[in-house]
Amino acid sequence: MSPATLLFGLSVFAQGDVNPQAAALQDFEKRIGEYVSLQKRLQKGLPSTKPTAEPQTILDGQHEFARKIREARSQAQQGSIFTPEISKEFHRLLGLARAGSNDAHIKKSLERAEPVRLTLHVNDAYPANIPLQSTPPTILMNLPRLPAGLEYRIAGHALVIRDTVANIIVDLIPDAIP
Amino acid sequence: MRRSVFLLLLFRGISAAARALRTVAGEQQSIGPALKLPLAPNSVRLAIIGDTGTGERPQFEVAQQMETFRRAFAFDFVLMLGDNIYGSKTPEDFKKKFERPYETLRTAGAKFYACLGNHDDTSERLYQPFNMGGQRYYTFKNGNVQFFALDSNYMDPAQLEWLDRQLSGSGAMWKICYFHHPLYSHGKFHGSDLDLRARLEPMLVKYKVDVVLNGHEHVYERVKPQQGIYYFVLGSSGELRPHNLNPSPDTEKGFDTDRAFGLIEIADDRFHFQIISRAGATVDSGVLQKSAAKS
Repeated sequence: MSPATLLFGLSVFAQGDVNPQAAALQDFEKRIGEYVSLQKRLQKGLPSTKPTAEPQTILDGQHEFARKIREARSQAQQGSIFTPEISKEFHRLLGLARAGSNDAHIKKSLERAEPVRLTLHVNDAYPANIPLQSTPPTILMNLPRLPAGLEYRIAGHALVIRDTVANIIVDLIPDAIP
Repeated sequence: MRRSVFLLLLFRGISAAARALRTVAGEQQSIGPALKLPLAPNSVRLAIIGDTGTGERPQFEVAQQMETFRRAFAFDFVLMLGDNIYGSKTPEDFKKKFERPYETLRTAGAKFYACLGNHDDTSERLYQPFNMGGQRYYTFKNGNVQFFALDSNYMDPAQLEWLDRQLSGSGAMWKICYFHHPLYSHGKFHGSDLDLRARLEPMLVKYKVDVVLNGHEHVYERVKPQQGIYYFVLGSSGELRPHNLNPSPDTEKGFDTDRAFGLIEIADDRFHFQIISRAGATVDSGVLQKSAAKS
């Protein structure tokens, strides 16, 4: 196949079909962007999150922010960000992350990170007395980046998006990790 | 290819009996509060503790031993290697698991610089006495040493890029990274974090980081230099898993029968260390000398 034919083929693909993987990631970015906009809107009027020697001040700020988010997302359910299409794409990306020798490293890292067994739901607080399992860096390298204030976490077999400021579960894929 | 960049010097006069202390165990220890640090003028003086935040008696006893040694070795600051507050995190927990145990040290002016462990909440970055500046990862300098506190719970690309920028721009003679999960450990409970090692170690080697300090494993272990980097694991300043070290040929020294903390003095091109048990016994000590190749 000549380069010209190849370019023509790509052009047709770009103008016609939508790459479902790219579309899923675009949709994911849009949904995350909407969540971040919500965060910013709700943070107005809350005390600033500057360092303080008073843990109660930190807790109060976290709880008040979480209350506002729960109120604004009272209808949010599992899948509000991880739609079936986005979940499918994340399963694919997680599979890529575990390719080759990475799989053994990731498995061992997960085993040695004090795996947690808990069932989480959207808008739950992550329990303070349960350790946060570390997320293997190779997994993080293969997933779309999240803006500050959001993070991916592994909880048992689930891949979770956690709001780190409000300490609440934004959404999850329950069976993401074998 | 840079390999052995440090020369481990044993203290002068070390006896054959003392050499036996290299074996992993706690049976043979020198007893007494003897300081094995040079107290050199203008040196950088610090203490290290890991996996502290239980609020139970052993944590207080280690803290008391730190106070005793501080009378002889006035360290300016303390690095906390994660798991700073176990369990619940109410204001009373911060008092019980941090403020009360280290009250005397803090009143005397010792500053604490924490990194986050898997039992910590990310909101601890906002707790001013941990001096994290509101960040999950941060850096600070003291004398000719630059410290890099990392969040090994969540080593995302943004943090790796930040570390790359910080290390590449550092002109410090000594570069010391500290974070919770060890890249090298022979603890039975956790062991080495291989995925973290695969992503982080190349950068540490590239920028000639000298020493890495970790917690997580509830024992003490000093690992033989790996690609020119010295690794210390100290996760037993509050918690302890007795007899949980499974020494390998890469284990330089270990101690797994009681809690411990560390003292470090960096004077010019020498890194002196002394690891001390809850009872005040020195369980490991030595000096690492920076080679010309690493300067």
